[in-house]
Amino acid sequence: MKKTISGLLGLSVMAASAAYALPEPGGIDMQPAASALAEEVHFFHNGILMPIMTGISLLVLALLIWVMVRYNSKSNPVAKKFSHNTLVEVIWTGIPILILLIIALPSFELLFKEGVTPDGKQVVARGDGQTVDFVFPNDFPESRMVKRADHLQVIVDTGAERRTLKHRKDFSVDGWGESDLVVSLNEPAPRGSSVILRGGRSTQNVTDCPTAKRYIDACEKEIVLAPTMTLKVTGRQWGWNYAYPDFGDFEFLSDMAPEDQTTPELYRLEVDNRVVVPVGETVRVTTTASDVIHSWALPNFALKIDAVPGRFNETWFRAEEEGVYYGQCSEICGIRHAFMPIAVEVVSRPKFEAWVDSQRALAGLEPMFADDNVKLAQAGAGAQAE
Amino acid sequence: MADAQAHGAHHDAHDHTPPFFVRWFFSTNHKDIGTLYLIFAIIAGIVGGAMSGLMRWELAEPGVTILTHWTAANPADVQPDEYTAAYNFYNVLTTYHGLIMIFFMVMPALIGGVGNWFVPIMIGAPDMAFPRMNNISFWLYGASGILITMSLFVPGYGSNLGFGGGWVLYPPLSSATGNPGPAMDLLILSLHLAGASSILGAINFITTIFNMRAPGMTLHKMPLFAWAVLVTAFLLVLSLPVLAGAITMLLTDRNFGTSFFDAAGGGDPLLFQHLFWFFGHPEVYILILPAFGIISHIVSTFSRKPIFGYLGMAYAMVAIGFVGFIVWAHHMYTVGLSVNMKAYFVAATMVIAVPTGIKIFSWIATMWGGSIQFKTPMVWAIGFIFLFTVGGVTGVLLANAGIDHYMHDTYYVVAHFHYVLSLGAVFGIFAGWYYWFPKMTGKMYREWLGQLHFWVMFIGVNLIFFPQHFLGLQGMPRRYIDYPEAFAYWHGVSSLGYAVTLVGMAVFLVAMIDAFFIYRKKAAANPWGEGATTLEWTLPSPPPFHQFNELPRFDKNAAEFH
Repeated sequence: MKKTISGLLGLSVMAASAAYALPEPGGIDMQPAASALAEEVHFFHNGILMPIMTGISLLVLALLIWVMVRYNSKSNPVAKKFSHNTLVEVIWTGIPILILLIIALPSFELLFKEGVTPDGKQVVARGDGQTVDFVFPNDFPESRMVKRADHLQVIVDTGAERRTLKHRKDFSVDGWGESDLVVSLNEPAPRGSSVILRGGRSTQNVTDCPTAKRYIDACEKEIVLAPTMTLKVTGRQWGWNYAYPDFGDFEFLSDMAPEDQTTPELYRLEVDNRVVVPVGETVRVTTTASDVIHSWALPNFALKIDAVPGRFNETWFRAEEEGVYYGQCSEICGIRHAFMPIAVEVVSRPKFEAWVDSQRALAGLEPMFADDNVKLAQAGAGAQAE
Repeated sequence: MADAQAHGAHHDAHDHTPPFFVRWFFSTNHKDIGTLYLIFAIIAGIVGGAMSGLMRWELAEPGVTILTHWTAANPADVQPDEYTAAYNFYNVLTTYHGLIMIFFMVMPALIGGVGNWFVPIMIGAPDMAFPRMNNISFWLYGASGILITMSLFVPGYGSNLGFGGGWVLYPPLSSATGNPGPAMDLLILSLHLAGASSILGAINFITTIFNMRAPGMTLHKMPLFAWAVLVTAFLLVLSLPVLAGAITMLLTDRNFGTSFFDAAGGGDPLLFQHLFWFFGHPEVYILILPAFGIISHIVSTFSRKPIFGYLGMAYAMVAIGFVGFIVWAHHMYTVGLSVNMKAYFVAATMVIAVPTGIKIFSWIATMWGGSIQFKTPMVWAIGFIFLFTVGGVTGVLLANAGIDHYMHDTYYVVAHFHYVLSLGAVFGIFAGWYYWFPKMTGKMYREWLGQLHFWVMFIGVNLIFFPQHFLGLQGMPRRYIDYPEAFAYWHGVSSLGYAVTLVGMAVFLVAMIDAFFIYRKKAAANPWGEGATTLEWTLPSPPPFHQFNELPRFDKNAAEFH
């Protein structure tokens, strides 16, 4: 019964969000980005690689056309005999090296953002109109410790307004790199407001940062919080098993939805049981497989991670908007390789908790989220991590 | 050189070819063995091309509608297990298309065929260093071809015929877990023989090139095609034993209870991938380097100008070969490597763009200032340069692990490697074919048929593969028999491109039949004029059964022979 409800819930969300996340008929570019990190991947493709690739191809084409027009046997009956020119050889060795460096710098930055699961931490304190000093426990491993101004963000949320404070102008910090950071606000936080301290070295550009700013690395940065949940993905021939170890380790199977239970656009993408994750929260994905190698892919998050028997692989994503996102198995796994799609439904925290409790009920577990807990979890979304 | 020509013409009269069976089955003659390899490659190319035709036909529209004609008793009413057989058939097609085109078409054509034919002649040698080993290299290939054909017709998974796990043969899909049937075992044995054949061939080329160059032809005066084959031979000798080891371990995993790649027994499936790609990446340079050599000859010949930056061209190939050995894990960005390891492979992989760029620009610089004749081989060569550039720049994109997490195992990768191989290596093969056809057969082809073949093929293959970039960007995964509606448009265009290419191949067939039976125009010793300076053009067309009974000599101070 509960299963039907969650299925219906999924279908209702689908109508609103499907268009956002699906491949586009006849489309010629990447699927829309659904996370800040995927936007960085898009910028790397559209802003850096595409212009360079197009430029080089057109340059070679232009040179070929030029030599064909200028040096064909009619225009130039007698061939010249030169076969060396040190200067041009140095140039066409040197310039490609420079171009590769231009590609490599953002490439490495992107790679490390994708490859290192965020470990940002957030503590929330209540403003009382008087206190100016707040403590941030800097209990990261040495290599990940908060040591510089860009490792720390201070946000004051009055309910009506959410303001990110500026270092030096609005607050000062004592104890960079030590076990406790003391943040001293220049003005006390208003009574009833939340003082949110976010620290960590996992930063990314905020969503919707304009392209021009991305070129000069002038985007506003945000510190990405550590995962609030782990999704355990197990590939099998030919479908996926999902488990939620943080919520009682309930498990379910997810297989391709039959043709008569879906729309033409979604056939071969839709599944019977979708993965459900909360919006705006970092999700750790671990993958493994029970028979052969599979690969768990979500183009909207520029994410692909193989599921290898005997190994646990890890990656992460954070969805910015609610919706349903689709992917397909991306490592050949046998006969029905083309028929093991992936569908991830991103919902609000309360909906997620309701869904978790419904799944726990199916697994014979007590509900995990009482009403109070819902609010608590919402307020301190990242605080309990690490 | 006029001297050498006189010698060539001289022993024409003394030609004694052995009787048919002895000549073609016990052959120790490098030219005859080269011809056998070329025939072998043409047959394999027809089979591999037909397989891609079935795939493109099936993919022309969403739904599984075509392959069921082969698997269902009544195609109008397909039973579930008949659908399963069709899915398996598709996977078998992708797998064998890849293996056949790589191991049985491009390698025999470029190395066994063109390499055997022209490396000895170009360096002024009477034959290969080990003529009998040359013979066994070829016949091992024949045995290998029989084994891979047999593996198509025995069970792999369940009662389904053939192995459908992709040409990369990743376990556990290729181990007893994924494909317990004998198809995979036969495939392994087939690759063992193909590998042994290539290793023997490579040893033969290395020995020939190092020891049998005509007096005065130093390595630095040697034609670039011989350089290309030399580098290729080293890649073969160093990489194929690693593949042989990996597939032997796979064979013992499957049959003798070892667990090298079985996690349950303490093994690791990724070990196979490391070993495979340690072979597999050099392998792609094995496929393309001989084509680089061919293109250099053609561009120089028809520009009537010596190749620009000869030493840079030669050592660019050496550099590509060397770096090719230290970039293998860029095929494995999504398997769960540590981020630092990926960063290394990103950096190492991008380095390859530099020597490759040197080659592209040097070809253009060779044309620069030349007096270009747009004969058939030259248009293929110019087509090669442009298409290889397109495939090259998408390769630079894929080198970046940060974006490869998106592109990996999508059609973007399919488009990329077909641009460098199907449009690169294959255009190189056709360029070489039209360039040396008069030399090998003593007959000319009709020029306009060669030109028509080029243009139809050029349009066709671009129609097939350019839209596959779009499919990949949209997230369409590889090796899928069926796909969501949204991908239908570009798949349709791609399949249309296949039809155009098929017409191109028909033109090729007509051009060849015409050359042999209708046109029948005798080829001169050097049909290409003053630009063709390598030794094969000093011999009559076709060359005598044994050439250079008296070795050509070169003045050590003379210009390079390339």
